[in-house]
Amino acid sequence: MLKPSLSGMDASPFPRPRTLIHPGRFNPVRIHSKHSERARHIRLALQPGLSLFEALVSPLAGIGVKHASTTILGGWFADLHYCVAPPDPSGKAVIAYTRPIPAGQAYMIFGNATLGKNRHGKPLVHCHAAFRTAGGQTKGGHILPETSIVGPDMIPVLVTSLDGFELRETFDPETNIPLLQPYEEGADE
Amino acid sequence: MSEAAIVENGAMGRVAYARIAPNEDLIQGVEKLCLAEGFKNAFVRGALGSLVDACLGTLDGKCLQIRGPAVEIVSLAGEVRSSEDGSLRASLSGVVADPDGNVYGGPFVPGSNPICMTFEVTLEWLPAAEQPTR
Repeated sequence: MLKPSLSGMDASPFPRPRTLIHPGRFNPVRIHSKHSERARHIRLALQPGLSLFEALVSPLAGIGVKHASTTILGGWFADLHYCVAPPDPSGKAVIAYTRPIPAGQAYMIFGNATLGKNRHGKPLVHCHAAFRTAGGQTKGGHILPETSIVGPDMIPVLVTSLDGFELRETFDPETNIPLLQPYEEGADE
Repeated sequence: MSEAAIVENGAMGRVAYARIAPNEDLIQGVEKLCLAEGFKNAFVRGALGSLVDACLGTLDGKCLQIRGPAVEIVSLAGEVRSSEDGSLRASLSGVVADPDGNVYGGPFVPGSNPICMTFEVTLEWLPAAEQPTR
């Protein structure tokens, strides 16, 4: 049988995007966004010996920043743990994070971390980064901020404070996982 | 401030944060976010999330495809500019990690980078720049 072909459709050199089916009901709103007319840029120095979580959260809380988008500009970690995201064998979601993978004494090349609140109102850090492992391999993935420890030197971070709205982790029915989304300050879900 | 300072503060301009949902295209999703939040020009920063498959442009006009799901976005930077024809154009460059954590980098090809679970992104613009479109 001939493959169906629409004229010109096969000419694109790029692969056709795959539309995946998620377990929950499709939400017609695809972009959840908030803006603020003014924000602050902050240079933060992650302190040696602290977990990435502590080193980000505590100093920012000290100046009243609870919601932020941050860029980790590179530096050594005494210990780094990460996960990757292969398909979920249980089918509960499209993907599931693996168990933590130790990268050892690793160099974080570049990372982005979002600071928000978890479902219990406590600070939450979501970080993805590229790094070189203790074994010399360059890898990337989802960093575990609680068990990744800043190395002997401070690591510089560019912080953009998100003032006037909040980032909260809420359960997303479509993907069937909790996700960070922006909300009005103090508003209910 | 001294070198020992842990935090140093400064002002900046307009900022927006978004979560873009699955199966939306990365590039056009960022462009539509600019429409939603009234940005004519923006720096794209603080981005992380995942793609179904990634498609990174190569010099011969083709692309390097990295199969997922999920391909994690581990580094991303870029900008959105308004064109003379009245359209918006995002140019995003980054590093992605495949389901084994192996990394690849390049420019994201418009229309060929569908979001897998979520894409978190921050837009910024200059404090004294032109007024937003609305």
